[in-house]
Amino acid sequence: MDPFESIKATFFQECDELLTDMESGLLAMEQGDDDSETINAVFRAVHSVKGGAGAFGLEELIRFAHVFETVLDEMRSGRLPLTDEVAKVLLRASDVLADHVAAARSGGGVDEGRTVGMIADLQALIDQDRAAELGLNDHGGADAPDEDFGFVPVLLSLDEPAAEAPEVDIAALMAASAEPSAGVDPAPDAAPSWMVTFRPRAEMYAKANESALVLRELARLGEVEVSLDTGAVPPLDQLSAEMAYLTWTIRLAGDKSEAEIREVFEFVEDDCDLTVVRDGETAAAEGAETSTDDDASASAVEAAAAAPLDLDALLARVSAPAPALESAPPAAPAPAAAAAPAPAPAPASLDVAGLIALAEKASQDHAQAQTAPPKADPKADQKEKAEARAGSGAATAATPTIRVDLDRVDRLINAVGELVIQQAMLSQRVFESGLARSSDVALGLEDLELLTREIQDSVMAIRAQPVKSVFQRMPRLVREVADMVGKKVRLVMDGENTEVDKTVIERLADPITHMLRNAIDHGLETPEEREAGGKGVEGTVRLAALHRGGRIVIEVQDDGRGINRPRVRGIAVTKGLIAEDAVLSDDEIDNLIFLPGFSTADVVSDISGRGVGMDVVKRSIQALGGRISITSEPGKGSKFSMSLPLTLAVLDGMVVSAADQTLVAPLSNIVESLTPRAEDVHLIGGRDAVICIRDTFVPLIDVGVALGFRDTPLPPASGVAVLVESEGGGKAALLVEAIQGQRQVVIKSLEANYQHIHGVAAATILGDGRVALILDVDALVTTSRRKAPRIEKRMAV
Amino acid sequence: MTDTDANTAEVSLCPVLDLQAAEPLRAELMALRGRPLQVDASQVSRLGGLCLQVLLSARISWAEDGLPLRIEQASDGFLEQLAAFGGPEINFEPEGAHL
Repeated sequence: MDPFESIKATFFQECDELLTDMESGLLAMEQGDDDSETINAVFRAVHSVKGGAGAFGLEELIRFAHVFETVLDEMRSGRLPLTDEVAKVLLRASDVLADHVAAARSGGGVDEGRTVGMIADLQALIDQDRAAELGLNDHGGADAPDEDFGFVPVLLSLDEPAAEAPEVDIAALMAASAEPSAGVDPAPDAAPSWMVTFRPRAEMYAKANESALVLRELARLGEVEVSLDTGAVPPLDQLSAEMAYLTWTIRLAGDKSEAEIREVFEFVEDDCDLTVVRDGETAAAEGAETSTDDDASASAVEAAAAAPLDLDALLARVSAPAPALESAPPAAPAPAAAAAPAPAPAPASLDVAGLIALAEKASQDHAQAQTAPPKADPKADQKEKAEARAGSGAATAATPTIRVDLDRVDRLINAVGELVIQQAMLSQRVFESGLARSSDVALGLEDLELLTREIQDSVMAIRAQPVKSVFQRMPRLVREVADMVGKKVRLVMDGENTEVDKTVIERLADPITHMLRNAIDHGLETPEEREAGGKGVEGTVRLAALHRGGRIVIEVQDDGRGINRPRVRGIAVTKGLIAEDAVLSDDEIDNLIFLPGFSTADVVSDISGRGVGMDVVKRSIQALGGRISITSEPGKGSKFSMSLPLTLAVLDGMVVSAADQTLVAPLSNIVESLTPRAEDVHLIGGRDAVICIRDTFVPLIDVGVALGFRDTPLPPASGVAVLVESEGGGKAALLVEAIQGQRQVVIKSLEANYQHIHGVAAATILGDGRVALILDVDALVTTSRRKAPRIEKRMAV
Repeated sequence: MTDTDANTAEVSLCPVLDLQAAEPLRAELMALRGRPLQVDASQVSRLGGLCLQVLLSARISWAEDGLPLRIEQASDGFLEQLAAFGGPEINFEPEGAHL
């Protein structure tokens, strides 16, 4: 892979994690957690996304993240209190940010209208004057992307009396042997310009950051004059290509805040020496600034690690008293400084004024001494340490992890799958060779089997992840939907830590989203209706995940009105889905909503009626080897349950034969097996067989017929009945010719390799190398139960 | 530009002068030391800080040797990036140079 692409891929992986962190933080904030650490964590996440995006020139992403981040920064600094409303807006903003990341990754576009609206909402959180100060108002421009970072040239009034006493050419001061910084005049003006010195260190380049990009980003903020100090560059024979020798001094015109300027450097801040001072204003060294400027502490954690310059700043401060410049008032209009009145005394930033040169000199001396202890302003240092501790606390407490390409894990899983098959084949050969079960070879094989299984479990565990990543997106969804339909909803979540294969998780989000929407939109009543019905105004929707019978079950339950069965039935009849006189159980009526073409909403709403019916949900779940069912109680609510295999890779199965085919029935479905007696089998309506098992009648399904392997049913007495239970609790007996035995099989998807076949969940390769189909027990059971009404329908039509 | 004598070394810069191009470029230029140098920058689309250093360093070395170093046919990308870097001088003409 192109190294650049691979770095980019890593960035997007990190984005996933950052977005998750951000969301967790925001959800905590939504619950009222206004701890500075939480807000900081969210800020850092957004900030890092933005920083990374900057390195790749993802303009739209940067632009949005910038606004988002600015609002968070306001919160961080206590200027914007956390309210319910704010949390809501932030959550929606996180949604939009995620969209932007996804768009950047796929190269697609984002919903511009939504972005603009979101930016407006974010801006609305901040006081207008403050927003202007932060340069946020530019972002309101609807569709003028280039204006967003646009800089409006400011007329410089050279005649204006200098508010700034020192006629110090900082550029010259700082750039020791600088190439002439022509044109870099500290022209006093209404909106003073900034002097930025930027000295990359080798690490910056080593981390694939590029000074060219940083300079380009800086140039976006306004008119720049760049001068380059090449004084440190050695001759070619002494040059190390990876070292950094250059120092840039940039004069940036415009009214950008210091925070905005520093943001350009956020991603390289650790790996460069940076000073940002007002042109013509008294200079301040980095260390001092960190302590006095809220904005500058933006990335205090990173700053904590920034060694040489901080040391230099300290050196500078200790070694030199404040010079005469101390008396100089700060430049009059200095928005950032004014807006962020620092508790630290102004002199702290003033006394270093003339010392920037000293600091710079020291910095040069120490440029190579990267091992300098990270010491800066004590106050800042403390704060930084605290943040660093908090930031790294979780990391150190957590188990160390590594990031592995999913492809590699998949390859491993495939290989283990093959190993299982191979091991099964070997066992079979040994068995066929007539070796005694107690022979060493057979015993060794048993050990091998155990070991194989252990490897398999371990490998599967690698891919297992808690469903939390999907669940935590839901509270926001619920709020949004509830707002939209004017209902009050409380979401209760259970079992967020239930683990399931990553491939399954990825495909859970859509069905859950749809079921939740459906529950709120159709399931719950309006507050008035609820009140009239003697219920609390607030409806409850419960989202739960649990393991059951080797599968993961996701339940979405509401305490709403329940399914209106007469109406559902009426619709089904009207739409020709069932015959008018069909006899259906309550359960069957409830499940009618999964039929294609069924929608109970008279008016298709924005929320759940997007032309995607529950049948689509059902199909997508079936494609995963899962199933969905609904139970409902009128007036009390409904519960959707979907169950999915924990993994899409292996399964314990019972190998059976039917019509000369070898088939596998998932063990988790099997209750018992028995040899049917002819007198226990009865025919209903002359064709549908049921079997009486301990005084209970269950349908007897001839698998060979059901799957179309043969037309004539097997005489029940000549086969074996396997009693199975479907996910919905329905039982049936599968009639097969013989049971071969229990085996672990590797699932090979039929959908991926061929297409979906009703009644067949997947396929596998057996020990003898033959392909066997894995039965979809639920489909078989449901078909047998539904058969009656369907036949009626056909006859009726 | 006058008679480009046979002694003049020529080197063509690769299109992407990024982190990875720096050391190869340094090595390439080192190998050409002691001869007047013409650097063809027509293909350059990206010029990074490290390669800029190498070029600047080469300028110093060539100046030490009193030999000319010239950037030829610089691409727009090269010139733009150079300007963004503050427009440092890379060409070197010795006093009364004759190439």
